[in-house]
Amino acid sequence: MNIKRIIFWIVFLAVLGLIAWGLIVALNKPLHNQLRLGTPSEVKTIDNARGPITAPVTIIEYSDFQCPACAMYYTLVEQLIASSPNIRVVYRNFPLYPLPHPNSMIAAQAAESAAKQGKFWEMHDMLFSKQSAWSDLPKEKALDMFKSYATTIGLNIVQYSADFDSPTVKAKIDADRTEGETLGINSTPTFFINGKAIVNPQGYDAFKKIIDEATR
Amino acid sequence: MTHLKKLLTRPLVNISIGLAVVALIVAVLGFADATYLTIEHYRGIVPPCSITGGCEEVLTSEFSTIVGIPTSLLGIIYYLLICVGVFLYLDTKKAVILKITLMLPWFGLGFSLWFTYLQIFVIRSYCAYCLVSAVITATLFFISFIMFKRSHSFHENI
Repeated sequence: MNIKRIIFWIVFLAVLGLIAWGLIVALNKPLHNQLRLGTPSEVKTIDNARGPITAPVTIIEYSDFQCPACAMYYTLVEQLIASSPNIRVVYRNFPLYPLPHPNSMIAAQAAESAAKQGKFWEMHDMLFSKQSAWSDLPKEKALDMFKSYATTIGLNIVQYSADFDSPTVKAKIDADRTEGETLGINSTPTFFINGKAIVNPQGYDAFKKIIDEATR
Repeated sequence: MTHLKKLLTRPLVNISIGLAVVALIVAVLGFADATYLTIEHYRGIVPPCSITGGCEEVLTSEFSTIVGIPTSLLGIIYYLLICVGVFLYLDTKKAVILKITLMLPWFGLGFSLWFTYLQIFVIRSYCAYCLVSAVITATLFFISFIMFKRSHSFHENI
């Protein structure tokens, strides 16, 4: 075996090793590009918000009902709200439609139709907690499922169905999504704490820490 | 059947080194892709859903592992075998090594078709990186096909 062949092999294996090593290093870093996002607009009356208006911390969330990560963060935000009265949460639609989430648009429509009857958060909770039940369904079946949720949370179904395909509901979702795109959002959920984008915290404690720092 | 028998018993001849190099480059890309997916699978944290994504559903689905082994890890081994096989051929010029290596994408193509089917019809989510892997394997299969075809024509024309 001559030296040239040995070098040949070392270079080959080094290239493969470098690729693997580079990917591991790159992926273990948090995505700092989120911090370069723009500042979302002030909370408007048309926004779906809960928590006191005077709360020192406002979380604006751009989210997608069909996104598994959003469903996971939904449980974290629930815990945050339960832990502190000083948080205001605003939900803005960023459906990743049509791909990768073909049912995300109709889910947003269901939530915004519920909002017309003052029950956005009831539908929001329903959609996230039961995400796995409707996520993979064909559109028609998912629509039926949403209707059953509407009944469960006590919506007027005739009104709900009328609002579902109304231009105002669609315009609201489009406006949210367009603003999100303007801000530079390309993944969900994206959180803004008091107007500033954060890197998605890994777990409840990390999230709580960010909130506590913002409260101070 | 006789064709298959000929294919398996005859030595691979009339080999294009250029094509072998292309196969090596493509397999290295496949290796990088599978490595990326494996890291994502093992990171254990929730990847955000992105416009280009769908990987979160696919990588957390019940099909992402085969008897506890991440499919993407099998992908790494598969591409690594092809990389090393082709490289070993380029080093030693032993046709039998290339022949065995070029048979791997036949199985790979079967797996890729199955996983693409699962994404379209069962998981109903598309992971761009998984689809890239399917394209890479299809390319390797195509290269393999050309190599065997060249060899076959050569044998027939003697």
